[in-house]
Amino acid sequence: MGTELGAQGAGAVELVNLTIDGKAAKVPKGTNLIEAAKSVGVDVPFYCYHPHLSIAGNCRMCQVRVKGAPKLDIACNTMVREGMEVSTHHTSPEVDDAQAATLEFILINHPLDCTVCDQAGHCKLQDYHFDYNARPSRFLEQKEHKVKALPLGPTVVLDGERCIMCTRCVRFCDEVTKTSELGMLNRGDRSVIAVNEGKELNNALSGTVVDLCPVGALTHRNWRFNTRIWFTKETDSICPGCSTGCNVKVAIRDQQVVQVKGRLNSAVNKEWMCDEGRYGFMRFLPQKRLASPLLGGAGTSWEMALRESKRLVGSEALVMVSPDLLLEEYDILKEFLTRHMPKARVVLAYRERTLTEVEKVLVSPDYAANFRAAEFSGLVQSVSGDAYESALKQLRAGSVSHVLLVGQRAILPEDCDAALLAGIQAVGVSVGMLTDAASGLASVLKVALPGRSILEKSGLMVNRQSRLQWSERVIDAPLGAEPEWRLLNRISKECGAALCDATNDRDLSLRILGKDTRLVGLSIADVKGSLLSLVGASKGIDLKSYQPRQRTVAADSAGSQPAV
Amino acid sequence: MGNHRQILLKNIDHPDQHTVAGYESRGGYSVIKKAMGLDPLAVLEEVKKSGLRGRGGAGFGTGQKWSFIPRNSGKPIYIVQNADESGPGTFKDRLLLERDPHLVIEGQLICAWAVQSNFSVIYIRGEYGYPYIRIQRAIDEAYAKGYLGENIFGSGFTHHMIVHRGAGAYICGEETALLNSLEGKKGQPRLKPPYYPAAIGLYDCPTVVNNTETLAACVAILENGGEWYAAIGTEKSTGTKLISASGHINKPGIYEIEMGYPLLQFIEEECGGIWKGRNLKGVMPGGSSFPILRADELAGVNIDYESLSKAGSHVGSGGFMVMDDHTDMVEAALNVAHFYAHESCGQCTPCREGGHWIEKIFGRISKGGGLPGDVQLVESICGQVAGHTICAFGEALAWPAQSFIRKFPEEFRGRISEAREGRVISRESMNADVGGSH
Repeated sequence: MGTELGAQGAGAVELVNLTIDGKAAKVPKGTNLIEAAKSVGVDVPFYCYHPHLSIAGNCRMCQVRVKGAPKLDIACNTMVREGMEVSTHHTSPEVDDAQAATLEFILINHPLDCTVCDQAGHCKLQDYHFDYNARPSRFLEQKEHKVKALPLGPTVVLDGERCIMCTRCVRFCDEVTKTSELGMLNRGDRSVIAVNEGKELNNALSGTVVDLCPVGALTHRNWRFNTRIWFTKETDSICPGCSTGCNVKVAIRDQQVVQVKGRLNSAVNKEWMCDEGRYGFMRFLPQKRLASPLLGGAGTSWEMALRESKRLVGSEALVMVSPDLLLEEYDILKEFLTRHMPKARVVLAYRERTLTEVEKVLVSPDYAANFRAAEFSGLVQSVSGDAYESALKQLRAGSVSHVLLVGQRAILPEDCDAALLAGIQAVGVSVGMLTDAASGLASVLKVALPGRSILEKSGLMVNRQSRLQWSERVIDAPLGAEPEWRLLNRISKECGAALCDATNDRDLSLRILGKDTRLVGLSIADVKGSLLSLVGASKGIDLKSYQPRQRTVAADSAGSQPAV
Repeated sequence: MGNHRQILLKNIDHPDQHTVAGYESRGGYSVIKKAMGLDPLAVLEEVKKSGLRGRGGAGFGTGQKWSFIPRNSGKPIYIVQNADESGPGTFKDRLLLERDPHLVIEGQLICAWAVQSNFSVIYIRGEYGYPYIRIQRAIDEAYAKGYLGENIFGSGFTHHMIVHRGAGAYICGEETALLNSLEGKKGQPRLKPPYYPAAIGLYDCPTVVNNTETLAACVAILENGGEWYAAIGTEKSTGTKLISASGHINKPGIYEIEMGYPLLQFIEEECGGIWKGRNLKGVMPGGSSFPILRADELAGVNIDYESLSKAGSHVGSGGFMVMDDHTDMVEAALNVAHFYAHESCGQCTPCREGGHWIEKIFGRISKGGGLPGDVQLVESICGQVAGHTICAFGEALAWPAQSFIRKFPEEFRGRISEAREGRVISRESMNADVGGSH
């Protein structure tokens, strides 16, 4: 298994030379001018274009001047040609005028309701107005009125007046989910996006149309009017729902999720996200948190709990592991077991379900966000549902003497029935690292230690395609709840020596990046910024999300410096 | 009156011309029989030689268009007759469809043989109820007689023809919107490139899209030869053209004239001059999508592609609209702008928004709410619509509006200053019939 930064694939790609605003560009044949311009750092604005949808060419924002062409061309639908000379608004006053005019056109019927619009602050109309126009409108007439606050389905609501008819939502439902719920009704400036007759926008990825909407026309029914986006903290992270590992941007205010968006990553989730992951982003976070250790279901001190946990040492324990721990934690768990419980049997909670056709577009059949990392760490060999099911059977039968549950989802919530809880209660030594104080497990385990959910820690994840990704902490853990790796470290310390001297998640990440030969040379920034495939040949750098980063940040260069 | 050769309209007045028997009695279907004895490429060559240009508005070489069709793509080749004649002032195809439908069918069969197509569609404007009945009946008759269907004239050649009625959108006359409409999609033009549907047309198959009049003209071309046709008219504008003359003239109607005929003479002789003894003010010679020409610009202008282009307009579809000196050009401009604003498909930004903006400004000026900068504003909007849209509708919208304000600026300015000097118009009353105030 080799680790390599994505590079252009081995297949011979014909490269084309052209100049954009006088800058020489060399890009693969078949690249359009928006992407080609991006490759040399030239911005070309657009609304309707999306790298993973068909070209509609209707917004007219990306017009450029190609030398020799009779009129301006739209960059999204113009492919590179050898020797092409392209001028954008930076060098062509004609293009600048056309873009300003396009913005003026778009805005004449657009309500000036930014003060109450959820998109304000992350709106492409606002941004582009300042970047490409910023002159007062000459429109003195009455604006057209259209439908307001029309629910398109259970998740999404439309404001027809704000819509700029880019048809990204229509194309998404036609081309990606293939459910074709949306269409465009009427003509001219009476045009409006509408749900096709007899349908409603109700598919497994429906919320994605809100992300795709460049303006505030489509909003989430459950997140409308929550907050202004500038009062939130936005974090780029990974959805912990399944092993697809969708790249997401989470907006948090007062420890509450106020919006979750898909983030563009061509190799993983394009920019899509499933509704279950989006609207249920916090579903793994229990209402009632375990924030201090329990002994036999009653509160106790850390000393007592850790001392009791020591009784696992040396046993042939059944170690049940949650599928949404970090790679670092699987790694340190493996060390812990090697050192203290070499005879333990490790089982990762893993079960597959049946997916609908639309879910198959994006969703993985598992609920095991990071099971590939468990495999990668060597903690388990190859994950399958059988080991988990038979472990459950043993627990129910009461044929286990020692059990260690690492993570709340070491036993999936749907399996925590009375028979299982009774089985666990009968186990002689049972230790669990939990987040949910209200779950049956907390009361039946001999020792329950307060753990954290994956949203509360930062570290490495490996998705189903074996892509190494960075999951950033989205919210703060309640006081007292410790990441699982630290709980393991504390038990180990109780047994004589700590496993590592890391004091926070970052230390631990640097530690694994420094010691795992397959990861040496990578910094955290590398993982965050690029697409790393851990198996076989890389799929290539993705121009859309890849930004080469300088490896000069000392703290990040784990490869050359020892972790502190 | 000019002595024009009647090619398309020569049999139009026979009361039984629309029946297959009447058509046959005047030599009908003999040309296709003759053509099918020739090599398809030879037929194409005749059409090329004729110099025939598309009569729908753009004036693209017909033979050239046919020659773009890839013959060995392994896909079916389609012919689509564009009979979605919906422009204001254009009503020539209606006459052919109604009164000489078999001529249209025969012309289409010639095209079918030339490009070896087995299937064609007549896309007829939805509002053309009677022409639809006539052409459908004619197709049924042709099938019954064996002119359509399998093994035509025992040659083994198969050609099927259907009629498809539009649903009332002007934009479906744009060839790619028409194809989308035929496919059951919303009638919106396709993105270019591909610039022509020749290779990627109906259902992504090779497709010829031709106007009704163009296809009808092919019959005479194959009957008498391409050179014969090319000798009529001027060098670059060959043959005859149907002109739908309307407006302030004594004899509105459809005239077949030879290309290159002097425009003023046409008004005077064919059209019987300006009505009520008034004077000519302006002409939109090519339908509402092309610029208007002022009376003083018309001296020496002939009705052909070169001459009208030089004068700043176009032959277009032959929708010849004449305006006398009593015409209020602000109202005329508003009327045209209203049509284009209403018919914009709404797909791309400049046309969707710009068309209505122009209409609203003209409406304001017309109602006495004009402001001093309005003329320049319209000029600027037109400049940003034309050439910036997916299809040629942008130009069709902008050019006439631009031409009205350029050629009759004093009328617009006069109306604006009258309003400024006289009564003061409040914003409320200006907006009263646009949908109320906020």
